[in-house]
Amino acid sequence: MNILYHVGRYFWMLGKVFSKPERHKMYGRQLFHEIDALGLNSIGIVVIISLFIGGILTIQLAYNLMNPLYPKTLIGLGTRDTLILEFSSTIIGLILAGKIGSNITSEIGSMKVTEQIDSLDVMGVNSASYLILPKIVAVVFIMPFLVILSIFFGLVGGLVVGPLAGVVTVPDYIDGIRYFFIPYYVTFTLVKSVFFGFLIASVPAYYGYFVTGGALEVGKASTKAVVNTNILILLFDLILTRLLLT
Amino acid sequence: MIKVSGLSKSFEEKTVLQNISTTFEPGKTNLIIGRSGSGKTVLLKCILGLFEPDSGKIMYDDRDLTTMRQKERKMLRREIGMVFQGGALFDSLTVEENVRFPLDMFTNFSGKEKLKRVNFCLDHVNITNANHMFPSEISGGMKKRVAIARAIALNPKYLFCDEPNSGLDPETSTLIDNLIHDLTKEFNMTTIINTHDMNSVIEIGDSVLFIHKGEKCWEGTKKEILNSGNQVLEDFIFANKLYAQMKKGQIH
Repeated sequence: MNILYHVGRYFWMLGKVFSKPERHKMYGRQLFHEIDALGLNSIGIVVIISLFIGGILTIQLAYNLMNPLYPKTLIGLGTRDTLILEFSSTIIGLILAGKIGSNITSEIGSMKVTEQIDSLDVMGVNSASYLILPKIVAVVFIMPFLVILSIFFGLVGGLVVGPLAGVVTVPDYIDGIRYFFIPYYVTFTLVKSVFFGFLIASVPAYYGYFVTGGALEVGKASTKAVVNTNILILLFDLILTRLLLT
Repeated sequence: MIKVSGLSKSFEEKTVLQNISTTFEPGKTNLIIGRSGSGKTVLLKCILGLFEPDSGKIMYDDRDLTTMRQKERKMLRREIGMVFQGGALFDSLTVEENVRFPLDMFTNFSGKEKLKRVNFCLDHVNITNANHMFPSEISGGMKKRVAIARAIALNPKYLFCDEPNSGLDPETSTLIDNLIHDLTKEFNMTTIINTHDMNSVIEIGDSVLFIHKGEKCWEGTKKEILNSGNQVLEDFIFANKLYAQMKKGQIH
């Protein structure tokens, strides 16, 4: 029953979020601010994590493909496909659920407990739409770019770490990442990234928007938001994989 | 004018407001007083439309808030200014942007006109040279004054203040009280102030409504309050010895 209550209230909030904005110009200004605050500020962490993931994946694949009958090009191919199909979208989604999600919950939650949201409502501003819509649009818009960036830097990580660790040569690795490329995999990962972006912005916004109490409750709401967003990302990963890859 | 009649509100089993009827006149500072937990804030939030009352009417001049559609409520809210207890200024915006926010949202003023209006409002609350400061960089008293400036930016007909001088020193409290009182007279607003500060009552209480355990217990003016003859009200007021001495004529 508790889950149904939260699901119902989440969709009620989304109804408010997607109602007609009061003034498009103000929303546009907010959107650019959110793209900068939530998206562009995440580029650094995405690059660092992707470099490491790519490097680690390359070493692990090389370890699993030690049989001399396997061509070394499989290491690059495996790294590429794993990054595209799963790691770049899902791992980056999970990481950003922590970074962006906790940011959104604490920002909206703090506004709630300090009556700034009431203040918007009293003015006649649709607070849910004004605060949450630009965040959702910003994250949904920026996520595919971050995933593409992650794939690129993941491959670079493998390219640097593989030869340095002596598990693959540069030509073998590059041959591998160019071998038997299926463009649909990229479409698949971009579709996933849009869904994940929506969850990363909307679920934490829900927890922030309905928080009651003080700073302690905002902290608890942030934790709940991150945990539940992570679970939902994995659930949607499973559903979308089943729907789009079989 | 705001007229409340037969207003009741419960939360689950608990009755918070019971059959409240009163009138708040324009050009007057109308105070709602009472102990903590007496239902003052719930009454204020019901009048504002932030809580839906279980029964009763709330008339803004000739418009009934309780039967209004969402769109009509939004229009009405543009005639309302609200000063929250903590100021509720937007942390990410500067003082100037905070005051300009309702103008950006609801008017078609040019940039110059908006700036002129912002400076007019800030001048009225005696804030100068703070346009580009953030709320975290100004004092509590200044925050309240900026909140008042933001509340009057759209030239509202109705002004609501929830404990506007809580947490302020006596001098700043008096300054805020007098500011609200003067603005009310100057712009002929219907002002409703929620407070439990007796100094405010004595200073600016043109009309005072005393709420006790969710019911209207007494109504009158600041001149009548010290000799109301209402035991519950007297217990509330004279809990402070200063006012007891005032009544006895020991302090003038």
